[in-house]
Amino acid sequence: MAIKTILCIEDDRFIGEMYVRSLKKAGYDIDWVVDGNDGLIAARNKPYDVILLDVMLPERCGTDILEALRGKEDLIPNTHVIVLTNFQQDEESQLAMEKHADAYLIKAEITPKKLISVIEKLEDK
Amino acid sequence: MEIKKVPRLASQFWPDFLKRKLTLIILMQIIISAAIGAVLVQAGIFTVDSVELWIIVGGFFVIQLGVNILIFISTASPTKDLIAAIINVAGEQPKLPLPNPNTSKNEKTGFRDALNVIYELSSGSGQVELKESDNTPRITAALSALDMTLCGFIAFDKNRKIVYSNKSAPVHKNSDGEKSVELLFNGADTFDSWLEHCKENSVHDEHIWYRIPDRLPNEEGRRFFDVIASYEKGTTVETVMTLIDRTSKYSVDEEDLDFISFAAHELRGPITVIRGYLDVLEDELSDVLQGDQSELFHRLIVSSNRLSGYIDNILNTSRYDRRHLKMDLAEDTVAAIYDTISDDMKLRAGAQNRLLTVKFPDDLPTIAADRASISEVFGNLIDNALKYSNEGGLVNVSAKVSGDFVDVSVVDNGIGMPENVVSQLFQKFYRSHRSRETIAGTGIGLYISKAIVESHGGTITVRSEDGKGSTFTVSLPIYSTVADKLKAGNNSNEGLIGEGNGWIKNHSMYRG
Repeated sequence: MAIKTILCIEDDRFIGEMYVRSLKKAGYDIDWVVDGNDGLIAARNKPYDVILLDVMLPERCGTDILEALRGKEDLIPNTHVIVLTNFQQDEESQLAMEKHADAYLIKAEITPKKLISVIEKLEDK
Repeated sequence: MEIKKVPRLASQFWPDFLKRKLTLIILMQIIISAAIGAVLVQAGIFTVDSVELWIIVGGFFVIQLGVNILIFISTASPTKDLIAAIINVAGEQPKLPLPNPNTSKNEKTGFRDALNVIYELSSGSGQVELKESDNTPRITAALSALDMTLCGFIAFDKNRKIVYSNKSAPVHKNSDGEKSVELLFNGADTFDSWLEHCKENSVHDEHIWYRIPDRLPNEEGRRFFDVIASYEKGTTVETVMTLIDRTSKYSVDEEDLDFISFAAHELRGPITVIRGYLDVLEDELSDVLQGDQSELFHRLIVSSNRLSGYIDNILNTSRYDRRHLKMDLAEDTVAAIYDTISDDMKLRAGAQNRLLTVKFPDDLPTIAADRASISEVFGNLIDNALKYSNEGGLVNVSAKVSGDFVDVSVVDNGIGMPENVVSQLFQKFYRSHRSRETIAGTGIGLYISKAIVESHGGTITVRSEDGKGSTFTVSLPIYSTVADKLKAGNNSNEGLIGEGNGWIKNHSMYRG
């Protein structure tokens, strides 16, 4: 599946801008929102190919967003979800998120270049 | 004929009883036969010297005696069994075979229950009942004393019902008045599973769990306990649970862990941006940088990578010390694991003007490893070797099979260590004599590396010579030798570290 559209839900301005800049350069269409509520609305309103989801977010945390999107029924069956966090969650929360996500990555370990290679790998899946 | 005197020993009773009853039966039969003979003679049917009379009387005697003895044996057999059971319970030398209550006959007649009562009484419960009234004041005092202590006590009967719990015990009563224990055990090692195991396999057993909470995080009044359970088969109170309240100790740990998690989150934010833009700019500026600028740029990258690694070390050490570090072991190759840090290591070696050679044999068997954790170990060892090498020094990384393990060695020709330093090397916050002044570091890299390797069921060893260099060797189990254990344990390493690695006795790293 060709990946074109990406939604980035990220409250840290520097990190958000960095992803937007790099992914745009790499040829993707990227929308960026900074709070959890807006993120959930955006994810439900438009069928994105990939959602980059932070965990610690204002208004609504990433765990809740993922639960709302994929908890009871999968509202976004054609979307890949990449959880990106710097927060060391407890084991249960992490496993719960991994279950509904395509990747669970520590932001500090993932440079934009590596993120693009992860997205390209999803494309081949 | 009645027995007037109680025998001194229960075992004496049966032979005496048997002797008297048999004598009685024989005497009775002689008297009855003689009486019948006398009646026949008196009636004039036979004369005293007629052969027929003796045949009839003698035959009657023999048949009656046989029938009576058979009836006696069958009516006396329960008495015999009861006596045998009592002899056994009294602890006397058993002169009678021990009756089995579970024969089909005993089951049908209900005699089984009678025998079981005797066996159950022998297990001590009878004594408790008998003495209870004498001890009532003492028991009341003991119970109120138990309610004053901070320790919890819970007693279970053989059906696992709570028969007693004191005030401090974390026990919940439902609307029907039924009590249940409120404890959140971690993983498969629960009280119930232990009890199940005891019922099947043990007569006496004891087990201890550490830092078991009674509620979820963020719930009001959450307490932490060290739990000790004792099991004794066949007693009225089969299982006793003793709970030591460690809330004051462990909840501080929890807060610390929270603090470190949040601190790491804060620190990782800026590092994400620094590493991210350095990575992007390295490409974009490659044509613009002049002279030593690109070398300086590499130093920025190396330093930010190191910073990121140190934060991981701190976070993992904190999790390890609180038994929260999780390992997810999978089949992997040494080369693939090293590959994830290869670029970073090359860059670090180059930036410090060291020569790093890495060579792994192609036919090396796969190992059981948590990739992220083992790459952290390799990174720590290589980073140390680079730091403690001299200018232009060589660091060599290699691997070979050794028994059931793959040995990965990191060899440097650097400053080395004297023997007294080597023994303390894996302690937390230990920094060697020289490094304190000259080389940066936190002193937890080797500590967490050892913890990670040993939780894989492996070992980490070091050989060093002062002034000549050091060799660190990590031995990790070959995947095929542990595959079965891993599959049984759902890829956690519990099966691996349960195997005689004494060091981990107080640690169970897989609790979330």
